[in-house]
Amino acid sequence: MLIVLKELSSMREALGRTLVYLGEVDRDLIVITADVGDSTRASYFRDRFPERYFNVGIAEQHMVNFAAGLAATGMKPLVVSFAMFLMRAWEQIRNTTARMNLNVKFIATHAGYSDSVDGSSHQALEDIALMRVIPSMSVIVPADAYEVRRSLPEMVLSGKGPIYYRIGRDYSPPITKDLEGEFKIGKASILRDGEDVAIIGAGVVLWSALEASKELERMGISAAVINMSTIKPIDEEIIERYARKTGAIVTIEEHSIYGGLGSAVAEIVVSKYPVPMRILGAKAFGRTARSHEELIEYFGLGKSSVVKAVIEVIKGAGRDRDA
Amino acid sequence: MGNIRSLGDIELLASRIRNHVLNMYLHDQSLHLGSSLSSVEILAILMFKYLRRSSDPINRDWLILSKGHAAPTLYAALAESGLISIKELEKIHDISSILQGHPEISVPGVDMSTGSLGQGLSFGVGIATGIKIRGGRGRVYVVMGDGEQDEGEVWEAITHAATRKLDNLVVIVDNNGFQLDGSTEDIKPKHYLPYVWRIVGWKVIMCDGHSIASLDRAINEALSSNMPTAIFAKTIRGKGVVEIENTKIQKPGVDSAKRAILNA
Repeated sequence: MLIVLKELSSMREALGRTLVYLGEVDRDLIVITADVGDSTRASYFRDRFPERYFNVGIAEQHMVNFAAGLAATGMKPLVVSFAMFLMRAWEQIRNTTARMNLNVKFIATHAGYSDSVDGSSHQALEDIALMRVIPSMSVIVPADAYEVRRSLPEMVLSGKGPIYYRIGRDYSPPITKDLEGEFKIGKASILRDGEDVAIIGAGVVLWSALEASKELERMGISAAVINMSTIKPIDEEIIERYARKTGAIVTIEEHSIYGGLGSAVAEIVVSKYPVPMRILGAKAFGRTARSHEELIEYFGLGKSSVVKAVIEVIKGAGRDRDA
Repeated sequence: MGNIRSLGDIELLASRIRNHVLNMYLHDQSLHLGSSLSSVEILAILMFKYLRRSSDPINRDWLILSKGHAAPTLYAALAESGLISIKELEKIHDISSILQGHPEISVPGVDMSTGSLGQGLSFGVGIATGIKIRGGRGRVYVVMGDGEQDEGEVWEAITHAATRKLDNLVVIVDNNGFQLDGSTEDIKPKHYLPYVWRIVGWKVIMCDGHSIASLDRAINEALSSNMPTAIFAKTIRGKGVVEIENTKIQKPGVDSAKRAILNA
Protein backbone atom coordinates (compact mmCIF):
# COMPACT_ATOMS: atom_id res chain seq x y z
CA MET A 1 0.00 0.00 0.00
CA LEU A 2 1.41 3.37 -0.99
CA ILE A 3 0.43 6.21 1.28
CA VAL A 4 2.53 9.35 1.03
CA LEU A 5 3.64 11.18 4.15
CA LYS A 6 1.40 14.19 3.62
CA GLU A 7 -1.66 11.97 3.99
CA LEU A 8 -0.37 10.59 7.26
CA SER A 9 -0.64 13.99 8.86
CA SER A 10 -4.44 13.65 9.05
CA MET A 11 -6.45 11.01 10.84
CA ARG A 12 -9.37 10.99 8.42
CA GLU A 13 -7.14 11.08 5.34
CA ALA A 14 -5.38 7.99 6.65
CA LEU A 15 -8.80 6.42 7.26
CA GLY A 16 -10.10 7.15 3.75
CA ARG A 17 -6.94 5.89 2.02
CA THR A 18 -6.74 2.76 4.13
CA LEU A 19 -10.42 1.98 3.49
CA VAL A 20 -9.72 1.98 -0.25
CA TYR A 21 -6.79 -0.36 0.25
CA LEU A 22 -8.97 -2.69 2.35
CA GLY A 23 -11.73 -2.58 -0.27
CA GLU A 24 -9.28 -4.05 -2.77
CA VAL A 25 -8.13 -6.73 -0.37
CA ASP A 26 -11.54 -7.91 0.83
CA ARG A 27 -14.47 -7.90 -1.59
CA ASP A 28 -17.00 -8.53 1.19
CA LEU A 29 -16.32 -5.17 2.84
CA ILE A 30 -19.21 -2.71 2.80
CA VAL A 31 -18.94 0.89 3.96
CA ILE A 32 -22.06 2.53 5.40
CA THR A 33 -22.48 6.16 6.40
CA ALA A 34 -25.30 8.42 7.47
CA ASP A 35 -24.53 11.27 5.07
CA VAL A 36 -21.03 12.03 6.31
CA GLY A 37 -19.09 10.35 3.51
CA ASP A 38 -17.19 13.49 2.54
CA SER A 39 -16.41 14.64 6.08
CA THR A 40 -15.12 11.24 7.19
CA ARG A 41 -13.29 10.53 3.89
CA ALA A 42 -15.35 7.35 3.49
CA SER A 43 -16.00 9.08 0.15
CA TYR A 44 -12.70 7.66 -1.14
CA PHE A 45 -14.20 4.20 -0.76
CA ARG A 46 -17.47 5.40 -2.34
CA ASP A 47 -15.64 6.73 -5.40
CA ARG A 48 -13.74 3.47 -5.86
CA PHE A 49 -16.42 0.91 -4.91
CA PRO A 50 -19.81 2.62 -5.38
CA GLU A 51 -21.64 -0.73 -5.38
CA ARG A 52 -20.33 -1.49 -1.88
CA TYR A 53 -21.03 1.90 -0.37
CA PHE A 54 -24.33 2.91 1.25
CA ASN A 55 -25.36 6.35 2.40
CA VAL A 56 -28.58 5.58 4.31
CA GLY A 57 -29.40 9.26 4.77
CA ILE A 58 -29.22 11.09 8.09
CA ALA A 59 -30.46 8.06 10.00
CA GLU A 60 -27.97 6.61 12.47
CA GLN A 61 -30.30 4.17 14.24
CA HIS A 62 -31.28 2.55 10.98
CA MET A 63 -27.68 2.61 9.78
CA VAL A 64 -26.57 0.48 12.71
CA ASN A 65 -29.25 -2.20 12.36
CA PHE A 66 -28.96 -2.17 8.55
CA ALA A 67 -25.28 -2.99 9.05
CA ALA A 68 -26.22 -5.75 11.48
CA GLY A 69 -28.50 -7.30 8.86
CA LEU A 70 -25.75 -7.18 6.23
CA ALA A 71 -23.40 -8.88 8.68
CA ALA A 72 -25.97 -11.64 9.22
CA THR A 73 -25.72 -12.50 5.52
CA GLY A 74 -21.93 -12.78 5.70
CA MET A 75 -20.93 -9.32 4.46
CA LYS A 76 -18.42 -7.29 6.49
CA PRO A 77 -19.99 -3.89 7.17
CA LEU A 78 -17.92 -0.93 8.36
CA VAL A 79 -20.13 1.76 9.83
CA VAL A 80 -18.41 5.14 9.45
CA SER A 81 -19.89 7.99 11.46
CA PHE A 82 -19.05 10.96 13.65
CA ALA A 83 -18.49 9.47 17.12
CA MET A 84 -21.08 11.78 18.65
CA PHE A 85 -23.89 10.87 16.29
CA LEU A 86 -23.18 7.17 16.46
CA MET A 87 -23.96 7.42 20.18
CA ARG A 88 -27.53 8.25 19.16
CA ALA A 89 -27.73 4.59 18.15
CA TRP A 90 -26.17 3.22 21.35
CA GLU A 91 -29.22 1.11 22.09
CA GLN A 92 -29.23 -0.35 18.58
CA ILE A 93 -25.53 -1.17 18.91
CA ARG A 94 -26.13 -2.78 22.29
CA ASN A 95 -29.36 -4.63 21.63
CA THR A 96 -28.87 -5.84 18.08
CA THR A 97 -25.20 -5.95 17.01
CA ALA A 98 -23.63 -6.68 20.37
CA ARG A 99 -26.23 -9.08 21.75
CA MET A 100 -25.97 -11.16 18.59
CA ASN A 101 -22.18 -10.69 18.53
CA LEU A 102 -22.30 -9.70 14.85
CA ASN A 103 -19.28 -8.76 12.81
CA VAL A 104 -19.92 -5.03 12.54
CA LYS A 105 -17.05 -2.56 12.89
CA PHE A 106 -17.90 0.96 14.05
CA ILE A 107 -15.44 3.56 12.82
CA ALA A 108 -16.11 6.73 14.76
CA THR A 109 -14.45 9.93 13.57
CA HIS A 110 -14.32 13.52 14.86
CA ALA A 111 -14.02 12.22 18.45
CA GLY A 112 -12.70 14.18 21.41
CA TYR A 113 -12.16 17.90 20.70
CA SER A 114 -11.08 17.23 17.11
CA ASP A 115 -14.13 18.87 15.58
CA SER A 116 -12.99 22.10 17.15
CA VAL A 117 -15.06 24.64 15.23
CA ASP A 118 -18.36 22.76 15.47
CA GLY A 119 -18.33 22.96 19.24
CA SER A 120 -19.72 20.88 22.06
CA SER A 121 -22.64 19.35 20.11
CA HIS A 122 -20.10 17.56 17.92
CA GLN A 123 -17.39 16.72 20.45
CA ALA A 124 -17.76 13.16 21.75
CA LEU A 125 -16.20 12.90 25.22
CA GLU A 126 -18.38 10.06 26.53
CA ASP A 127 -18.19 7.46 23.77
CA ILE A 128 -15.41 5.26 25.14
CA ALA A 129 -17.32 4.80 28.39
CA LEU A 130 -20.55 4.04 26.53
CA MET A 131 -18.92 1.45 24.29
CA ARG A 132 -16.71 -0.10 26.95
CA VAL A 133 -19.66 -1.18 29.09
CA ILE A 134 -21.17 -3.32 26.31
CA PRO A 135 -20.17 -6.96 26.97
CA SER A 136 -19.08 -8.18 23.53
CA MET A 137 -17.62 -4.83 22.34
CA SER A 138 -13.90 -4.11 21.86
CA VAL A 139 -12.60 -0.53 21.84
CA ILE A 140 -9.59 0.71 19.86
CA VAL A 141 -8.21 4.26 19.92
CA PRO A 142 -5.26 4.73 17.55
CA ALA A 143 -2.78 7.44 18.52
CA ASP A 144 -2.17 9.04 15.15
CA ALA A 145 -2.50 8.62 11.40
CA TYR A 146 0.45 6.21 11.31
CA GLU A 147 -1.34 3.99 13.76
CA VAL A 148 -4.55 4.21 11.73
CA ARG A 149 -2.62 2.78 8.80
CA ARG A 150 -1.18 0.00 10.97
CA SER A 151 -4.25 -0.85 13.01
CA LEU A 152 -7.20 -0.48 10.65
CA PRO A 153 -6.30 -3.50 8.45
CA GLU A 154 -5.75 -5.63 11.57
CA MET A 155 -9.07 -4.50 13.07
CA VAL A 156 -11.07 -4.98 9.86
CA LEU A 157 -9.51 -8.21 8.62
CA SER A 158 -8.76 -10.02 11.90
CA GLY A 159 -10.87 -8.37 14.61
CA LYS A 160 -13.60 -10.59 16.04
CA GLY A 161 -17.17 -9.45 16.67
CA PRO A 162 -18.22 -5.84 17.16
CA ILE A 163 -15.40 -3.30 17.55
CA TYR A 164 -15.53 0.43 18.23
CA TYR A 165 -12.66 2.21 16.49
CA ARG A 166 -12.24 5.85 17.51
CA ILE A 167 -10.30 8.55 15.70
CA GLY A 168 -10.27 12.34 15.47
CA ARG A 169 -10.48 14.57 12.44
CA ASP A 170 -7.22 16.01 11.05
CA TYR A 171 -4.76 16.89 13.83
CA SER A 172 -2.27 14.08 14.09
CA PRO A 173 1.14 14.75 15.63
CA PRO A 174 3.67 12.02 14.72
CA ILE A 175 3.33 9.93 17.89
CA THR A 176 3.95 6.47 16.47
CA LYS A 177 5.92 7.45 13.36
CA ASP A 178 9.00 5.56 14.51
CA LEU A 179 7.17 2.70 16.16
CA GLU A 180 8.12 -0.68 14.79
CA GLY A 181 6.34 -3.99 14.83
CA GLU A 182 2.83 -5.02 13.95
CA PHE A 183 -0.28 -3.67 15.58
CA LYS A 184 -1.98 -6.28 17.75
CA ILE A 185 -5.43 -5.81 19.26
CA GLY A 186 -5.09 -5.89 23.04
CA LYS A 187 -1.35 -5.06 23.07
CA ALA A 188 -0.09 -1.69 24.27
CA SER A 189 3.16 -0.22 22.95
CA ILE A 190 5.90 1.56 24.85
CA LEU A 191 6.67 4.88 23.19
CA ARG A 192 9.37 5.72 25.70
CA ASP A 193 10.65 3.78 28.68
CA GLY A 194 11.08 5.20 32.16
CA GLU A 195 11.51 4.35 35.86
CA ASP A 196 9.73 6.92 38.03
CA VAL A 197 6.24 7.18 36.58
CA ALA A 198 4.18 5.59 33.80
CA ILE A 199 2.08 7.91 31.65
CA ILE A 200 -0.56 5.80 29.93
CA GLY A 201 -2.53 7.47 27.17
CA ALA A 202 -4.68 6.94 24.11
CA GLY A 203 -5.13 9.13 21.05
CA VAL A 204 -3.43 12.33 19.96
CA VAL A 205 -2.99 13.63 23.52
CA LEU A 206 -0.14 11.15 23.84
CA TRP A 207 1.81 13.94 22.16
CA SER A 208 1.41 15.99 25.36
CA ALA A 209 2.75 13.02 27.32
CA LEU A 210 5.78 12.69 25.05
CA GLU A 211 6.50 16.42 25.26
CA ALA A 212 6.06 16.33 29.03
CA SER A 213 8.41 13.38 29.37
CA LYS A 214 11.22 15.47 27.83
CA GLU A 215 10.64 18.30 30.29
CA LEU A 216 10.43 15.83 33.19
CA GLU A 217 13.74 14.35 32.12
CA ARG A 218 15.34 17.77 32.49
CA MET A 219 13.89 17.83 36.03
CA GLY A 220 15.42 14.43 36.75
CA ILE A 221 12.19 12.44 36.49
CA SER A 222 12.22 9.44 34.21
CA ALA A 223 8.76 8.91 32.70
CA ALA A 224 7.61 5.95 30.65
CA VAL A 225 4.98 6.75 28.00
CA ILE A 226 2.65 3.91 27.05
CA ASN A 227 0.25 3.95 24.10
CA MET A 228 -2.83 2.02 25.22
CA SER A 229 -4.43 1.90 21.79
CA THR A 230 -6.71 -0.98 22.74
CA ILE A 231 -8.84 0.15 25.66
CA LYS A 232 -10.86 -3.06 25.68
CA PRO A 233 -9.66 -5.77 26.05
CA ILE A 234 -6.99 -3.81 27.91
CA ASP A 235 -3.35 -4.91 28.20
CA GLU A 236 -3.44 -5.91 31.87
CA GLU A 237 0.07 -7.30 31.83
CA ILE A 238 1.74 -4.02 30.87
CA ILE A 239 -0.32 -2.06 33.41
CA GLU A 240 0.70 -4.35 36.26
CA ARG A 241 4.33 -4.43 35.09
CA TYR A 242 4.59 -0.63 35.02
CA ALA A 243 2.68 -0.23 38.30
CA ARG A 244 5.32 -2.43 39.91
CA LYS A 245 8.19 -0.84 38.07
CA THR A 246 7.34 2.86 38.51
CA GLY A 247 4.95 2.94 41.49
CA ALA A 248 2.95 5.85 40.03
CA ILE A 249 0.62 6.21 37.05
CA VAL A 250 -0.85 9.16 35.14
CA THR A 251 -3.42 8.52 32.44
CA ILE A 252 -4.39 10.94 29.68
CA GLU A 253 -7.25 10.79 27.22
CA GLU A 254 -9.45 13.06 25.16
CA HIS A 255 -12.53 11.78 26.95
CA SER A 256 -14.39 12.16 30.20
CA ILE A 257 -12.49 11.21 33.33
CA TYR A 258 -15.47 8.96 34.08
CA GLY A 259 -15.51 5.57 32.43
CA GLY A 260 -12.75 5.97 29.87
CA LEU A 261 -9.11 4.92 29.68
CA GLY A 262 -8.29 6.24 33.17
CA SER A 263 -11.11 4.24 34.71
CA ALA A 264 -10.10 1.14 32.75
CA VAL A 265 -6.48 1.41 33.94
CA ALA A 266 -7.60 2.06 37.52
CA GLU A 267 -9.78 -1.06 37.46
CA ILE A 268 -6.66 -3.12 36.73
CA VAL A 269 -4.37 -1.22 39.08
CA VAL A 270 -6.63 -1.63 42.14
CA SER A 271 -6.90 -5.37 41.66
CA LYS A 272 -3.33 -6.17 40.57
CA TYR A 273 -0.99 -3.72 42.26
CA PRO A 274 -2.45 -0.52 43.75
CA VAL A 275 -0.32 2.59 43.23
CA PRO A 276 -1.23 6.31 43.27
CA MET A 277 -2.82 7.50 40.02
CA ARG A 278 -3.92 10.74 38.37
CA ILE A 279 -6.53 10.67 35.63
CA LEU A 280 -6.34 13.47 33.06
CA GLY A 281 -9.38 13.94 30.87
CA ALA A 282 -12.48 15.99 30.25
CA LYS A 283 -14.60 17.26 33.15
CA ALA A 284 -17.10 19.31 31.14
CA PHE A 285 -18.63 19.66 27.70
CA GLY A 286 -16.31 21.03 25.04
CA ARG A 287 -16.50 24.35 23.23
CA THR A 288 -15.58 25.95 19.94
CA ALA A 289 -12.08 27.02 19.02
CA ARG A 290 -10.28 27.53 15.75
CA SER A 291 -7.92 24.64 16.35
CA HIS A 292 -7.93 21.25 18.02
CA GLU A 293 -4.56 21.94 19.68
CA GLU A 294 -5.93 25.05 21.43
CA LEU A 295 -8.76 22.99 22.95
CA ILE A 296 -6.37 20.31 24.19
CA GLU A 297 -4.43 23.04 25.99
CA TYR A 298 -7.57 24.88 27.17
CA PHE A 299 -9.09 21.78 28.77
CA GLY A 300 -5.94 20.86 30.67
CA LEU A 301 -4.54 18.13 28.47
CA GLY A 302 -1.40 19.90 27.29
CA LYS A 303 2.22 19.30 28.24
CA SER A 304 2.20 21.45 31.40
CA SER A 305 -0.85 19.67 32.81
CA VAL A 306 0.90 16.34 32.39
CA VAL A 307 4.06 17.63 34.11
CA LYS A 308 1.96 18.93 37.01
CA ALA A 309 0.07 15.64 37.39
CA VAL A 310 3.30 13.64 37.35
CA ILE A 311 4.84 15.74 40.10
CA GLU A 312 1.65 15.41 42.19
CA VAL A 313 1.40 11.66 41.76
CA ILE A 314 5.03 11.11 42.63
CA LYS A 315 4.50 13.19 45.80
CA GLY A 316 1.46 11.04 46.55
CA ALA A 317 3.61 7.97 46.21
CA GLY A 318 5.87 9.42 48.92
CA ARG A 319 8.80 9.67 46.58
CA ASP A 320 9.05 13.41 46.12
CA ARG A 321 12.35 13.53 48.04
CA ASP A 322 13.80 10.88 45.75
CA ALA A 323 12.89 12.90 42.71
CA MET B 1 -40.25 -24.59 -1.10
CA GLY B 2 -40.27 -26.71 2.05
CA ASN B 3 -43.60 -27.42 3.64
CA ILE B 4 -46.50 -26.39 1.45
CA ARG B 5 -49.62 -27.26 3.39
CA SER B 6 -53.28 -26.73 2.67
CA LEU B 7 -54.87 -23.65 4.19
CA GLY B 8 -57.07 -25.96 6.23
CA ASP B 9 -53.97 -27.60 7.75
CA ILE B 10 -52.59 -24.19 8.60
CA GLU B 11 -55.85 -23.19 10.28
CA LEU B 12 -55.54 -26.30 12.41
CA LEU B 13 -51.91 -25.48 13.23
CA ALA B 14 -52.95 -21.94 14.15
CA SER B 15 -55.47 -23.19 16.66
CA ARG B 16 -52.88 -25.54 18.14
CA ILE B 17 -50.45 -22.60 18.44
CA ARG B 18 -53.16 -20.51 20.14
CA ASN B 19 -53.75 -23.31 22.62
CA HIS B 20 -50.02 -23.62 23.32
CA VAL B 21 -49.87 -19.89 24.04
CA LEU B 22 -52.84 -20.10 26.41
CA ASN B 23 -51.27 -23.09 28.10
CA MET B 24 -47.99 -21.20 28.50
CA TYR B 25 -50.00 -18.44 30.11
CA LEU B 26 -51.36 -20.92 32.63
CA HIS B 27 -47.75 -21.68 33.58
CA ASP B 28 -46.63 -18.07 33.71
CA GLN B 29 -49.06 -15.17 33.81
CA SER B 30 -46.37 -12.58 33.14
CA LEU B 31 -46.31 -13.12 29.39
CA HIS B 32 -47.89 -10.60 27.00
CA LEU B 33 -50.96 -12.67 26.23
CA GLY B 34 -53.11 -10.14 24.38
CA SER B 35 -50.42 -9.14 21.88
CA SER B 36 -49.28 -12.75 21.44
CA LEU B 37 -52.78 -13.87 20.49
CA SER B 38 -53.16 -11.28 17.74
CA SER B 39 -50.09 -12.65 15.92
CA VAL B 40 -51.09 -16.34 15.83
CA GLU B 41 -52.39 -16.64 12.25
CA ILE B 42 -49.68 -14.33 10.84
CA LEU B 43 -46.87 -16.44 12.27
CA ALA B 44 -48.65 -19.71 11.45
CA ILE B 45 -48.98 -19.03 7.73
CA LEU B 46 -45.48 -17.60 7.41
CA MET B 47 -43.91 -20.51 9.24
CA PHE B 48 -45.92 -23.34 7.68
CA LYS B 49 -46.48 -22.16 4.15
CA TYR B 50 -43.90 -19.60 3.08
CA LEU B 51 -40.72 -19.87 5.11
CA ARG B 52 -37.93 -21.82 3.36
CA ARG B 53 -35.29 -22.82 5.88
CA SER B 54 -31.66 -23.59 5.11
CA SER B 55 -28.26 -22.92 6.63
CA ASP B 56 -27.26 -20.79 3.63
CA PRO B 57 -27.87 -17.20 4.76
CA ILE B 58 -28.69 -15.89 1.28
CA ASN B 59 -30.75 -18.78 -0.12
CA ARG B 60 -33.14 -19.14 2.76
CA ASP B 61 -35.96 -17.02 4.13
CA TRP B 62 -35.71 -15.00 7.32
CA LEU B 63 -38.49 -14.42 9.83
CA ILE B 64 -37.96 -11.46 12.09
CA LEU B 65 -40.36 -10.89 14.93
CA SER B 66 -39.84 -7.18 15.45
CA LYS B 67 -42.69 -7.12 17.98
CA GLY B 68 -40.63 -9.38 20.22
CA HIS B 69 -43.21 -9.39 23.02
CA ALA B 70 -45.20 -11.91 20.93
CA ALA B 71 -42.39 -14.38 21.65
CA PRO B 72 -44.78 -17.02 23.10
CA THR B 73 -46.51 -17.31 19.71
CA LEU B 74 -43.17 -17.64 17.92
CA TYR B 75 -42.03 -20.33 20.39
CA ALA B 76 -45.30 -22.22 19.98
CA ALA B 77 -44.92 -22.15 16.19
CA LEU B 78 -41.30 -23.30 16.48
CA ALA B 79 -42.45 -26.16 18.68
CA GLU B 80 -45.11 -27.17 16.16
CA SER B 81 -42.48 -27.14 13.42
CA GLY B 82 -40.26 -29.40 15.53
CA LEU B 83 -37.39 -26.94 16.07
CA ILE B 84 -37.88 -26.94 19.83
CA SER B 85 -39.70 -29.45 22.00
CA ILE B 86 -43.35 -28.90 22.91
CA LYS B 87 -42.40 -29.79 26.49
CA GLU B 88 -40.11 -26.74 26.61
CA LEU B 89 -43.07 -24.37 26.11
CA GLU B 90 -44.35 -24.81 29.65
CA LYS B 91 -40.95 -23.74 30.96
CA ILE B 92 -41.17 -20.28 29.36
CA HIS B 93 -39.53 -17.61 31.57
CA ASP B 94 -38.14 -20.25 33.91
CA ILE B 95 -34.50 -19.59 34.76
CA SER B 96 -33.54 -23.01 33.41
CA SER B 97 -35.42 -22.57 30.11
CA ILE B 98 -34.03 -21.54 26.72
CA LEU B 99 -37.22 -19.51 26.21
CA GLN B 100 -36.38 -15.94 27.16
CA GLY B 101 -39.02 -13.26 27.64
CA HIS B 102 -38.19 -11.90 24.20
CA PRO B 103 -36.72 -13.88 21.28
CA GLU B 104 -33.00 -14.58 21.28
CA ILE B 105 -31.02 -16.27 18.54
CA SER B 106 -29.85 -18.93 20.98
CA VAL B 107 -33.28 -20.52 20.47
CA PRO B 108 -33.31 -22.73 17.33
CA GLY B 109 -35.30 -21.05 14.56
CA VAL B 110 -35.07 -17.52 15.94
CA ASP B 111 -33.46 -15.28 13.31
CA MET B 112 -33.02 -12.08 15.29
CA SER B 113 -32.78 -11.21 18.97
CA THR B 114 -35.50 -8.65 19.46
CA GLY B 115 -37.41 -7.07 22.32
CA SER B 116 -36.55 -3.44 21.80
CA LEU B 117 -39.22 -2.09 19.46
CA GLY B 118 -38.59 -0.54 16.07
CA GLN B 119 -35.36 -2.40 15.25
CA GLY B 120 -36.48 -5.43 13.26
CA LEU B 121 -37.20 -3.68 9.98
CA SER B 122 -33.75 -2.08 9.69
CA PHE B 123 -32.17 -5.46 10.31
CA GLY B 124 -34.45 -6.97 7.66
CA VAL B 125 -33.49 -4.25 5.17
CA GLY B 126 -29.84 -5.13 5.81
CA ILE B 127 -30.46 -8.83 5.22
CA ALA B 128 -32.53 -8.23 2.08
CA THR B 129 -29.75 -5.98 0.76
CA GLY B 130 -27.04 -8.53 1.60
CA ILE B 131 -29.03 -11.23 -0.23
CA LYS B 132 -29.27 -8.98 -3.31
CA ILE B 133 -25.57 -8.12 -3.29
CA ARG B 134 -24.58 -11.78 -3.07
CA GLY B 135 -27.13 -12.89 -5.66
CA GLY B 136 -29.20 -15.06 -3.33
CA ARG B 137 -32.85 -16.03 -3.62
CA GLY B 138 -33.83 -15.64 0.03
CA ARG B 139 -36.71 -13.48 1.20
CA VAL B 140 -37.14 -11.55 4.42
CA TYR B 141 -40.39 -11.42 6.40
CA VAL B 142 -40.64 -8.87 9.20
CA VAL B 143 -43.58 -9.00 11.60
CA MET B 144 -44.14 -5.66 13.29
CA GLY B 145 -46.62 -4.27 15.78
CA ASP B 146 -48.72 -1.22 15.07
CA GLY B 147 -47.54 0.41 18.31
CA GLU B 148 -43.90 0.20 17.31
CA GLN B 149 -44.64 2.30 14.23
CA ASP B 150 -44.18 5.24 16.63
CA GLU B 151 -40.42 4.62 16.68
CA GLY B 152 -38.39 7.04 14.56
CA GLU B 153 -36.17 4.23 13.30
CA VAL B 154 -39.15 2.76 11.44
CA TRP B 155 -39.36 5.92 9.36
CA GLU B 156 -35.61 5.73 8.72
CA ALA B 157 -35.99 2.13 7.59
CA ILE B 158 -39.05 2.42 5.34
CA THR B 159 -37.61 5.39 3.47
CA HIS B 160 -34.29 3.61 2.92
CA ALA B 161 -35.89 0.30 1.86
CA ALA B 162 -38.00 2.14 -0.71
CA THR B 163 -34.92 3.67 -2.35
CA ARG B 164 -33.35 0.19 -2.65
CA LYS B 165 -36.48 -1.33 -4.28
CA LEU B 166 -36.16 -4.47 -2.17
CA ASP B 167 -38.67 -6.84 -3.76
CA ASN B 168 -37.45 -9.63 -1.45
CA LEU B 169 -38.75 -7.87 1.66
CA VAL B 170 -42.26 -8.34 3.09
CA VAL B 171 -43.50 -6.64 6.23
CA ILE B 172 -46.66 -7.72 8.02
CA VAL B 173 -48.00 -5.22 10.51
CA ASP B 174 -50.08 -6.89 13.22
CA ASN B 175 -52.61 -4.10 13.37
CA ASN B 176 -54.34 -4.90 16.66
CA GLY B 177 -55.15 -1.31 17.56
CA PHE B 178 -53.43 -1.29 20.95
CA GLN B 179 -50.10 -0.33 22.44
CA LEU B 180 -48.89 -0.74 25.99
CA ASP B 181 -50.83 2.08 27.63
CA GLY B 182 -54.07 1.89 25.66
CA SER B 183 -55.66 2.08 22.24
CA THR B 184 -53.58 3.47 19.40
CA GLU B 185 -56.33 5.93 18.60
CA ASP B 186 -56.09 7.42 22.10
CA ILE B 187 -52.29 7.45 22.27
CA LYS B 188 -51.17 8.20 18.75
CA PRO B 189 -53.49 7.50 15.81
CA LYS B 190 -52.20 5.07 13.21
CA HIS B 191 -54.92 5.27 10.52
CA TYR B 192 -52.65 7.23 8.18
CA LEU B 193 -49.81 4.70 8.27
CA PRO B 194 -50.76 2.66 5.17
CA TYR B 195 -50.85 5.92 3.17
CA VAL B 196 -47.46 6.94 4.54
CA TRP B 197 -45.85 3.61 3.61
CA ARG B 198 -47.40 3.77 0.15
CA ILE B 199 -46.39 7.31 -0.67
CA VAL B 200 -42.84 6.55 0.46
CA GLY B 201 -42.61 3.80 -2.15
CA TRP B 202 -43.95 0.56 -0.70
CA LYS B 203 -46.68 -1.61 -2.09
CA VAL B 204 -49.38 -1.69 0.60
CA ILE B 205 -51.96 -4.45 1.00
CA MET B 206 -54.72 -4.63 3.61
CA CYS B 207 -55.99 -7.95 4.90
CA ASP B 208 -57.74 -9.78 7.73
CA GLY B 209 -54.98 -10.94 10.06
CA HIS B 210 -57.01 -13.79 11.53
CA SER B 211 -58.11 -15.26 8.20
CA ILE B 212 -55.56 -17.70 6.80
CA ALA B 213 -57.11 -17.29 3.34
CA SER B 214 -56.92 -13.48 3.47
CA LEU B 215 -53.33 -13.55 4.71
CA ASP B 216 -52.44 -16.09 2.01
CA ARG B 217 -53.81 -13.88 -0.78
CA ALA B 218 -51.96 -10.87 0.60
CA ILE B 219 -48.60 -12.65 0.94
CA ASN B 220 -48.98 -14.14 -2.54
CA GLU B 221 -49.57 -10.71 -3.96
CA ALA B 222 -46.59 -9.35 -2.04
CA LEU B 223 -44.31 -11.99 -3.51
CA SER B 224 -45.18 -11.00 -7.07
CA SER B 225 -44.51 -7.30 -6.39
CA ASN B 226 -41.41 -5.58 -7.73
CA MET B 227 -41.07 -3.38 -4.68
CA PRO B 228 -41.02 -3.93 -0.92
CA THR B 229 -44.47 -4.75 0.40
CA ALA B 230 -46.21 -3.96 3.66
CA ILE B 231 -49.30 -5.94 4.61
CA PHE B 232 -51.47 -4.23 7.19
CA ALA B 233 -53.24 -7.17 8.81
CA LYS B 234 -56.26 -6.16 10.90
CA THR B 235 -56.22 -8.22 14.05
CA ILE B 236 -57.87 -8.41 17.45
CA ARG B 237 -55.74 -8.05 20.51
CA GLY B 238 -56.39 -10.99 22.82
CA LYS B 239 -58.06 -12.99 20.02
CA GLY B 240 -59.64 -16.12 21.49
CA VAL B 241 -60.03 -14.91 25.07
CA VAL B 242 -63.41 -13.17 25.02
CA GLU B 243 -62.79 -11.21 28.24
CA ILE B 244 -59.76 -9.37 26.87
CA GLU B 245 -60.52 -9.16 23.15
CA ASN B 246 -60.02 -5.66 21.81
CA THR B 247 -58.82 -4.29 25.13
CA LYS B 248 -55.41 -3.33 26.41
CA ILE B 249 -55.62 -6.07 29.06
CA GLN B 250 -52.70 -8.49 28.78
CA LYS B 251 -53.55 -10.65 31.78
CA PRO B 252 -57.00 -12.22 31.99
CA GLY B 253 -57.95 -14.44 34.91
CA VAL B 254 -56.60 -17.96 34.70
CA ASP B 255 -60.17 -19.26 34.41
CA SER B 256 -60.78 -17.18 31.29
CA ALA B 257 -57.67 -18.66 29.70
CA LYS B 258 -58.80 -22.17 30.63
CA ARG B 259 -62.23 -21.53 29.12
CA ALA B 260 -60.61 -20.26 25.95
CA ILE B 261 -58.63 -23.50 25.64
CA LEU B 262 -61.83 -25.54 26.02
CA ASN B 263 -63.69 -23.40 23.49
CA ALA B 264 -60.99 -23.59 20.87
